[in-house]
Amino acid sequence: MMGEAMPTVREAADVTLLLPARPENVAIVRHALGALGEVLEVDAQTLSDIRLAVTEACTNVVVHAYPDGSEGPLEVLATLAGEELTVVVRDEGEGITPRPDSPGLGLGLPLIASLAEKVQLGHDAQKRTEVRMTFSLASMAA
Amino acid sequence: MSGPASLRLAKGPLAGPVLCRVVSMVLARADCPVDRLDDALLACEEITTHGLGYVADGHLSVTLNAGKDQLEVRIGELTERGAEGMLAAAMVPGVGNVLERVTDEQRVEPAKDGGAEELVLAISF
Repeated sequence: MMGEAMPTVREAADVTLLLPARPENVAIVRHALGALGEVLEVDAQTLSDIRLAVTEACTNVVVHAYPDGSEGPLEVLATLAGEELTVVVRDEGEGITPRPDSPGLGLGLPLIASLAEKVQLGHDAQKRTEVRMTFSLASMAA
Repeated sequence: MSGPASLRLAKGPLAGPVLCRVVSMVLARADCPVDRLDDALLACEEITTHGLGYVADGHLSVTLNAGKDQLEVRIGELTERGAEGMLAAAMVPGVGNVLERVTDEQRVEPAKDGGAEELVLAISF
């Protein structure tokens, strides 16, 4: 789904991280997710999938959101609801558009889609670009 | 430096571990000695254990700003006199005040964004 305004979850999120969109800060997000996985006792494979998908989304922000060299925010929100974990990666950049000059392989979004139960691309009420990923934690018991 | 890191943490079991991990990463990147990193993690545990009892809307906001030899920890969205309450709650009989022992500076400032006031801690390394 693309281009649809989605409600902000900032107020409801269990964890919100706001960082400058720099490559080194993606590691901070990954470590924060590691702590979350430990507390929730998420199995190693599920946590690895979550970390990889969120890393891809954050890397997209770092590489694509602010292409003119300007610096902008990278916001990550994690919300736990029952056995579902929703992670939103948000930026104030140009949005998700095809880039013929992209330095990447273009595998980011398909990879995220294959790792998450559900993926939504869109904007929040303040028109910030969002990638919203939902992961099932129920599978970890299987 | 990687720039300021801001967290907003809901009451619950995630707050402490997530804050500790983020502080560890920020301080490791700032080449903080491991003993002071340990002190900072102790401060983080105090912050999440006691701070969430003094927040205005169930969320604690923490902004980390690492310099060359200091970490500033700004704890926000506190209720009126919440900073004082947090500091008082960190008192351990026979040991003293944990936050005062492991940080170099503690000051209270009016809130800039939500809540009534902020507690600002500085950890030098």
